[in-house]
Amino acid sequence: MPFLGTALNTAGLLFLTHAVYSTHEHTATFAHTPLPLDITIELLVSILILSAGIVVSSPQLKPIQWAKWAGKIQRGGRHSEGKWTREGEEVLSEGDPYAFLGLDGGIGGKGEGRRGFWDVRGKRKEYAHWAKTGGKQ
Amino acid sequence: MAFTATMSEERELAIHPIVQTSVQHNTQVVSNIRNLTASLFGVAAGTLGLESYPGFIFYLVGTLIVSGLIFAFRTEGKPSEYFHRPFGDLWGGDVFSGLSSFVLTWTLFYGLVRA
Repeated sequence: MPFLGTALNTAGLLFLTHAVYSTHEHTATFAHTPLPLDITIELLVSILILSAGIVVSSPQLKPIQWAKWAGKIQRGGRHSEGKWTREGEEVLSEGDPYAFLGLDGGIGGKGEGRRGFWDVRGKRKEYAHWAKTGGKQ
Repeated sequence: MAFTATMSEERELAIHPIVQTSVQHNTQVVSNIRNLTASLFGVAAGTLGLESYPGFIFYLVGTLIVSGLIFAFRTEGKPSEYFHRPFGDLWGGDVFSGLSSFVLTWTLFYGLVRA
């Protein structure tokens, strides 16, 4: 199925680009005249192809009824990628959303989820040393 | 009346429990599709030079078609297996959240191509 989705998307994008460009050329040459029928048809067809491609290349839906969902897992195993809780539910979030803060956060990280306090006395001592040596390292 | 309705729904849920992560996943997939296609319809509406109500009608027809595509390709004609309330979550889900991106690309392409 991924091949079909990609093919539909590519074809749709090509047609859409062509249709929009043709419209631009048409309005630049003959302003205030209605759009030719072939451009309109091409535009609508490209939109249809593209939305079909988007739907086809979207991930599969999952059954919401417990019985069917459990049956699917029984039959196919937990084949889908991603993380799972011990109870068998899929973890949808992508880990710690604040990882970019560099706090080595929370549940999966090694730290305790927050940065230690800034060592004020150490920094002051460092500064005093730096000032005493006349600004050289 | 409403009381009995909620009671029966609760009993129904107790008999056939629902997997919350699957519901979340399905809603996410639908809203993703809606967002992508909404801006696409905006491109089409702007290029066609639609104005005022015809543009919004175009959007509504487009979302209806996309819902039909989801119904056909993703749910295989059985939306109640994938959505708790098929009418609200599949046919009407996220229709108005895509409206803003539709208007955005609609006005952009109208200005680029037609004006």
